[in-house]
Amino acid sequence: MARTTPEVPATRTLPRVAPARSVLLVDRLMAVGITFGGIAIIVAVLGIFVFILSQVLPLFRGARVAPLQQVALPPQPYVLLGTDEWTALPVLVSADGTLWFVDPSGQRPVQRVSPAHPPDVAFTAFAYDQGRQEVVMATRDGRFTVVRLNYQATFAGSARTVVAHPQAGPLLALGRQGYPITHIAYRDSGSDKLAVAIQDVAGRREVHAVHLVQRRTLLGASKVQVKNRYDLTPQLAGTPQAVAVTAQADGVVVATEEGDVYYFVRQSEALALRQVFAPFQDLAAPQIASMHFLLGGVSLAFSSPSGAHRLFSLYVPAGAAVRLFGQTKALTPLPAGASFFAHSLRNKAFLTGAGAWAGLYYATTATVRWQQQLPFTVTLARLGGKYDRLLFLDDHHTLHLYALDDPHPEDGWRAFFGKLWYEGAAAPAYVWQSTGGSDAFEPKLSLVPLIIGTLKGTFYALLFAVPVALLAAIYTSQFLHPNLRLVVKPTMEIMASLPSVILGFLAALWLAPLLERRIPSCLLIFLGIPWAAVVFGWLWNRLPRRCRRLVRPGYEFLAFAPVLLAVVYAAWQLGPLLERWLFVVTDPHSGQRLADFRLWWPQATGTRFEQRNALVVGFMMGFAVIPIIFTIAEDALSSVPAALKSASLALGASRWQTAVRVVIPTASAGIFSALMIGLGRAVGETMIVLMATGNTPIMDFSIFTGMRTLSANIAVELPEAPHHGTLYRTLFLGGLLLFVMTFLVNTVAEILRQHLRERYKTV
Amino acid sequence: MRSAPPLPRVRERPPRLTTGEPLVWGTAMGLTVGLAMILYLLGLILVNGVTAFWPRRVAWLELRPGSAARLGQAAVLAGEVVAEQAKRDHLGSGPAPQEWQLFLGNKDVYGQAFRYVDAADVVRRSYPRTLMVIERLEYGDAIGVPVALEIKGEGVLPAEAPRFAARLRQLVEEVNRRRARIRQLEKRDIGALNARMEKLRLRQRALERARQAGRDVAAAWQAVAEEMAALQARYEALAQQARHLRQQQDEHALVYRLATGEERRLPLGQVVHYYYPNRLSVWQRLGLLARNVWVFLSEEPREANTEGGVFPAIFGTFVMTVLMSLAVTPFGVVAALYLLEYARQGLLVRLVRIAVSNLAGVPSIVFGVFGLGFFVYGVGGSLDALFFAEALPTPTFGTGGILWASLTLALMTVPVVIVATEEALAAVPRGMREGSLALGASKWQTIQRIVLPAAAPGILTGLILAMARGAGEVAPLMLVGVVKLAPSLPIDTVFPFIHLERKFMHLGFHIYDLGFQSPDAEAAKPMVFATTLLLITLVVVLNLGALYIREKLRRKYATAAF
Repeated sequence: MARTTPEVPATRTLPRVAPARSVLLVDRLMAVGITFGGIAIIVAVLGIFVFILSQVLPLFRGARVAPLQQVALPPQPYVLLGTDEWTALPVLVSADGTLWFVDPSGQRPVQRVSPAHPPDVAFTAFAYDQGRQEVVMATRDGRFTVVRLNYQATFAGSARTVVAHPQAGPLLALGRQGYPITHIAYRDSGSDKLAVAIQDVAGRREVHAVHLVQRRTLLGASKVQVKNRYDLTPQLAGTPQAVAVTAQADGVVVATEEGDVYYFVRQSEALALRQVFAPFQDLAAPQIASMHFLLGGVSLAFSSPSGAHRLFSLYVPAGAAVRLFGQTKALTPLPAGASFFAHSLRNKAFLTGAGAWAGLYYATTATVRWQQQLPFTVTLARLGGKYDRLLFLDDHHTLHLYALDDPHPEDGWRAFFGKLWYEGAAAPAYVWQSTGGSDAFEPKLSLVPLIIGTLKGTFYALLFAVPVALLAAIYTSQFLHPNLRLVVKPTMEIMASLPSVILGFLAALWLAPLLERRIPSCLLIFLGIPWAAVVFGWLWNRLPRRCRRLVRPGYEFLAFAPVLLAVVYAAWQLGPLLERWLFVVTDPHSGQRLADFRLWWPQATGTRFEQRNALVVGFMMGFAVIPIIFTIAEDALSSVPAALKSASLALGASRWQTAVRVVIPTASAGIFSALMIGLGRAVGETMIVLMATGNTPIMDFSIFTGMRTLSANIAVELPEAPHHGTLYRTLFLGGLLLFVMTFLVNTVAEILRQHLRERYKTV
Repeated sequence: MRSAPPLPRVRERPPRLTTGEPLVWGTAMGLTVGLAMILYLLGLILVNGVTAFWPRRVAWLELRPGSAARLGQAAVLAGEVVAEQAKRDHLGSGPAPQEWQLFLGNKDVYGQAFRYVDAADVVRRSYPRTLMVIERLEYGDAIGVPVALEIKGEGVLPAEAPRFAARLRQLVEEVNRRRARIRQLEKRDIGALNARMEKLRLRQRALERARQAGRDVAAAWQAVAEEMAALQARYEALAQQARHLRQQQDEHALVYRLATGEERRLPLGQVVHYYYPNRLSVWQRLGLLARNVWVFLSEEPREANTEGGVFPAIFGTFVMTVLMSLAVTPFGVVAALYLLEYARQGLLVRLVRIAVSNLAGVPSIVFGVFGLGFFVYGVGGSLDALFFAEALPTPTFGTGGILWASLTLALMTVPVVIVATEEALAAVPRGMREGSLALGASKWQTIQRIVLPAAAPGILTGLILAMARGAGEVAPLMLVGVVKLAPSLPIDTVFPFIHLERKFMHLGFHIYDLGFQSPDAEAAKPMVFATTLLLITLVVVLNLGALYIREKLRRKYATAAF
């Protein structure tokens, strides 16, 4: 104001007392300090969101690939590219069976090793098992041998030196003697080994397999013995083109030039044909260009000459009793049939491509993590053992080494929110199962079951809490005697302060076992109380006025207490009777008729009955949610301007009519905001859900099963999640979802409340 | 708002349905249900919590031949009747028969401490006065009839001897004193030595690294080695002393007979306390109750937390709450002062205000997630790399600890304090501020001497509410440093006295752990209820305090827009 006043003629003023300079200094210091500190604290508090987001973002990044090194190799007809775990000493195999070890850092020259084979062998087919570090070589005369690469790392301080001591095994006969093997596949599952080969028998292609066994005792492995030999040719209708063996060495897959795939399973002594399928039968050119197993040996990646690219997995289809191959995914097409292929040893990623085009695929999510038109034509490719390197050999005998940075290949929108067809499953599904037993395990990180679980818990909590809280708020604000309000409100607020761990413990160890045996009683109680209230109220009002005077207005809730007790007691006692009357099942074993709701429910509805279920959670979460909704709704209702109420009452409306037609509509925004805040609390509640449900991530809304919520999931899994791993970040994503959900809900509620406050001011 | 007094009606008629009187009863139902729920719950916890300490009588049950509840050949059971209920696993029609849940004790002999007995199987129930309950260090309570005392050097003293009672009391007291002495030796003296030796070991590692870097550390190395040797010698002496005392503990033994007839010999060193449950008067029972409560509050847990006390959990909760308050008060007050007194009021500040108050509604587990990622791995990891490199890869601050837990909870509760402080500041009447300014006080002087003192109760309310929330919260703590059993307290007599990096125990987590991770959930139940009662008392008292202050404040500034 002072600024705008026109200059006043100076009056004679008293000498101004100047404040001490120290006072002014302190004042200025504090102003700066508090402003700075205040802003810093607020930014820090709001920074929570930013931090959590920063932890989550790497999940949605694609793979990064950068060229690292190039090594020119002696010109040789290379047929195979392999590498050790650290990609410190890749190996190339040339057509004569010689191994060429390459140090990509260029410190050591290319090292040529020829394993000791008998002098007269010539090799015609090769296969490589990166996990076991074995190269299988097949000869022109129908034999094969396994060369172990024997990589060894020695450490001097932090420096690592990798050396290889290749060792060739004995030559074993496979198929007809004297005919060249053109393709070979081999798998070693420890005690069982299975080799299968395509042999060129005077222009006719035959497929032969041999089953080897090796006993392992305390003294070491015994000699390899041939258990069985099989000739699969008679069972094939076409010309065999490619072969593969499953990871457990218990099955063989043969692709023919006609585009059919034959799946044989080793059963006791036989290799029986189980399935014939054509992966590209719907295409004009149904031929198969390539066929490769992924890590785990359950999924096959096929490509057709035209570049169509499909994934087939073994699973038990509906109605079948055994696992069969079926198409689970159509992948992004290749420019042509795949000319190279390498799968990761860490996950379901694989590197494939044709010509100069290379792509890194992730099988579970059917996404391309990285793709590029390379400046050279690729003849051989390999993925580093730690999923951190890409290796390519081009047609000019140069080995290209690329660095791969893809810490979270299994993630992405599709993994979190999409329906995925996981290996071994009969259909696409939303599944959360973050850890498994083996390396080949596919982490299943769908957040959908957790979101469903969260919504389920919230729904049942609100279903119970909202009526109770709102009715109590209406009664307290409109009808309750003002003196009692001073007692009632703090009591309900005490309820809000009950630590949720206590509610959870009571829910799980006291309520769940109690309710389990008395479900019918509970149903009666839930149905009975509202009816009892209204019927009792109606009857009460039929009573002569003299009796009604006994309860003063505003004390009804106390008068109702004995009724409540009576209803609860009666329902509790009647429950077993009801059970004997309605919920009777016949025990299939003894033929006895049992009255038990726990058995009746699964029979009648087909869903399970669990002791720790949504009913228990909903009821106990009520303790946490009711007081919050109650307090906020009651505040909104009781701050409706008194003039409105007085006017309504003066016009002859009853107190109920005033409440319902005047007060509640006016305060509706506040009531809605109370519901939103209650919802926010229920969404984030952790301990009750953690303790009172089975924490199974399931996807149903049944009241008698448990659930797993986002919050409980974090509490269960985060302590064991490795720092900055995929699971860690995924759990952070769950936390972020919770944060965003509750923050949005609360903001809406807060804005409504402010809006309401403005409205009251104007009324 | 008081409803208007009813006008005299012309005709006496019950009100019609359209006036909605019955529906008023419907809304009354909501309040009654809500209040009944809370009162029942509090009552349930109170009753179960108190009975956990109450020394029950021990019943002597004679079972009918062929009862499934028999143990071996004996047809007799002795135990506390914990519950009488309808049979749990009863299937089929007809009312379920009654069964008793018995606490038998003697877990070392029977394998389980609890047994269910069909009420129909009990032929006779009596309460013999000779039955004794012995609290032991291991295997929980023993229940039996004392037979004799085996005293070293004196021979056997039968239970019928007149000196028996006095002698037993004297020996048990002696054993308990010696146990306290052993504890002191092992925990405090040897613990302090161990801490110093650990520090020397880290120093050795640091020297080792300096030596590799090419510096001459021979002199320092020598000094450390000498100090180490001296400490080692003192350690040996103390350990020898403790061993000697331990041997003395098991010199005497108590022989008692179980209900099943078998005789057991218990070294007195195992006895913590004993009493004759069927001889006690009501006052003695109350005395025993008081003793049990004291033990519960002051002692450390034993036997996977199912026996003993919860002192470390109380202490951990206390220290964590205090640390949290130390962090949250200045932050909350400064932020609120800024928002209300210094910031220019506008849309931005309004948005910030909404955002801050909404943070109070963000689930606590999200703060735990943040605490783990930011404090533990981020800040803690960096601290370790900078200052505690010699201990790596064992993390010092890079793992959950009481400091990180307190800061996480402080972050979680800071919105509560900001909102409460703002409300309190806004409630200080404008006149007071203007009066101060008019007298020539600077802005800060006004805030410091007028506004803040006037708002102090409001700020305190916010702080108490924050403490109550912090004390009862478990979910975020599980991620940032709470453990089921901490070997040492976060504050002790070993330099530097306050160990902020230590893991700690917490009442809320204790409940979770006992109820869900305990090997014997049934045996842990009384303990869980007792802990629950304690925690709920703490939280309710804090909340009532906050309510009380708020109510007083409301009256004081009734004229202000509060």
